Amino acid sequence: MAERADDRLLRLLGIVAYLDGAGPVPVEELARRFGTTPAQIQKDVDALWVSGTPGYWPDDLIDFDAASIDRGVVHLTEARGMTRPLRLGTREAVALVAALRAMKATGAVQADPARSAVVESALGKLTDATGEAANAVDVRLAPGGDRQVVSVLAAALAAGHRLRIRYVSSSDVVSEREVDPQRLHTQDEFAYLAAWCYRAGAPRTFRVDRILDAVETDVPVQEHPGQQAEIDFAALFAGGSSPLATIRFAPRARWFAEEVPVESVRNLPDGDFEVTLRVTNPGWLRSTLIQLAPYVRAVAPSALAEDVAGAARAALAVYEAAGDGPGATDVTEVAGASGAAFSPDRH
Amino acid sequence: MPSDLNPAERLLNLVIALVNTNAAMTKQQVRTAVAGYADAPSDEAFERMFERDKDMLRALGVPVVTVGTGGHTDELGYRIDQDAYALPPIDLTPAELGVLSLAAQFWQDKTLQTDITRAMVKLRAAGAGDPSVDALAGLAPSVRAVGDAYGPLMEAIEARRAVRFAYRAAYNGAVLTRHVEPWRIAARDGGWYLMAFDRDRQAPRVFRLSRIESRVRVTGPAGAYDIPDVDTDVMLGKAHGEVRQAVVAVRPERASALRARGKPVPDGERQAWLARLPADGGADGSTPTGWDVLEVPFRSVTGMASEAAGYGAAVVVLEPAPVREETVRRLRAAAALGGARG
Repeated sequence: MAERADDRLLRLLGIVAYLDGAGPVPVEELARRFGTTPAQIQKDVDALWVSGTPGYWPDDLIDFDAASIDRGVVHLTEARGMTRPLRLGTREAVALVAALRAMKATGAVQADPARSAVVESALGKLTDATGEAANAVDVRLAPGGDRQVVSVLAAALAAGHRLRIRYVSSSDVVSEREVDPQRLHTQDEFAYLAAWCYRAGAPRTFRVDRILDAVETDVPVQEHPGQQAEIDFAALFAGGSSPLATIRFAPRARWFAEEVPVESVRNLPDGDFEVTLRVTNPGWLRSTLIQLAPYVRAVAPSALAEDVAGAARAALAVYEAAGDGPGATDVTEVAGASGAAFSPDRH
Repeated sequence: MPSDLNPAERLLNLVIALVNTNAAMTKQQVRTAVAGYADAPSDEAFERMFERDKDMLRALGVPVVTVGTGGHTDELGYRIDQDAYALPPIDLTPAELGVLSLAAQFWQDKTLQTDITRAMVKLRAAGAGDPSVDALAGLAPSVRAVGDAYGPLMEAIEARRAVRFAYRAAYNGAVLTRHVEPWRIAARDGGWYLMAFDRDRQAPRVFRLSRIESRVRVTGPAGAYDIPDVDTDVMLGKAHGEVRQAVVAVRPERASALRARGKPVPDGERQAWLARLPADGGADGSTPTGWDVLEVPFRSVTGMASEAAGYGAAVVVLEPAPVREETVRRLRAAAALGGARG
């Protein structure tokens, strides 16, 4: 795809302003700095070379030292007054400041005074340079789990040390694992640790608030085949060929369609909606449907509905045996009575 | 001069001309003198080209100012005031630049990525050194995509203009057109929200962006309202009540996430709590075994009840009564989902 004119203009002006202060700079370094290719830098220099003030006589043009270019070094000799870098626009400042403020508040940054300090100082310099505080966008990410755990994870990442963790899965199963930490990814409501898991012999992603305990060992992390640099969230949630379920919800459960990766959402005329999703984690789905049950109108297939109902009945049996009588419709009355009757004497 | 300049090169020549002009250039001077404009085939085509280029420069933070040229004509002149567009000196350390580079990966939306990439190009042009990411090694914060509403909403907030959009109400699912004055866009707990003054309701309101079902249209004049200094969390209702303690009985080895937040009740109270549970296997009436009793801090009754219900028979709420009632309500509703009701 062709580059947008405004993005290229920004780089052309940026190159002149930068070179004016920096002196001769190799093409490769310039390309790296402005996030483009050496070939594109050559084209940019060619365009700059014929640009200037009206008249466009040799003295009107931006100029470079030709001998340097032949050696692969860009040496600006005439800037035609374009020496000042551009200020940040409001939207640009908003995007940077909001991201930095959100980073500052994450557990992984808060857990380490040195990190906090560098984020704080970057934020300070940026707000000084952009003037008004950019309040138009306000992002807060997840706290990201237990402070103690987060600081151990962050320390192990920085030192490149293997971790020993105790982890509880979303199906409520606890396991002990040794992992090579790779990345601590704070995304919205949860933080995730991407790591190589020795127990699984594969890369795994762990939700940080489900890491019950973490110990940094002194074993250095190793290279692992097939390890990805980035967490692939789509793959994390993708259902693949898992069986489909269809659930009809009342409007109040709208967040389910918004926050759970579903295959499709169908809005119904009466305000209800119906989602179709792949059941990759039956334990999680069972638990979530019980949580949302007052707003669930129908569940298909019936085996799933029966599974949810069965788990709920087993739990109700315990409450009923403990005094919350069966068949009661007025929950308030029944539970209120039991609460009064069984309250232990507390000091 | 080559007549087939591409738009970026034409814009570059316009910026250089308007920065270097002594007083100002008239449109006619721009058309005849600045490289790239002479090939406009008609007056209209030139006008459109020049207006579009001015808008693009303004969007990049390079405002073209309009001045009277004085003298006998009322023709306007144009120039670019370099002091107005220059970045103040910003002396970033490699570590700070590393932090900014990480911030550049924060956004998932294309519009925001564009904004932040531009900011980084400008900062790199200011001569900051090479970024060092050591200070934040391994960290990767990011926020989920805002969606298409971001662009028009930011435009509205910047210019203090009203917007309208179709919105699906959460309580009954009805879709209505809403007219609001946008104040701020906020992300909390995985959701994106618009905080605004609702003109139809004549009151501040919060809208969830994912429930906006149409394009957001910016309407009405600029500077139409002031944005008050509001607290995001207060307005979103996230300033939760005080922390209270729930007492729950938990099957051994189960609900570890709940255990991680709670702590066992004091030994002296354990028996009294256990007496409220049914005896296991109908033994000789002695107190039940096979349960741990924990105190778990919570703020929201429904949140705590929902979590407890989700564990099924592995967790039983003992106190307080409202949490227990709400838990039982959810379990009854879930039990009713099965075919064999009752």
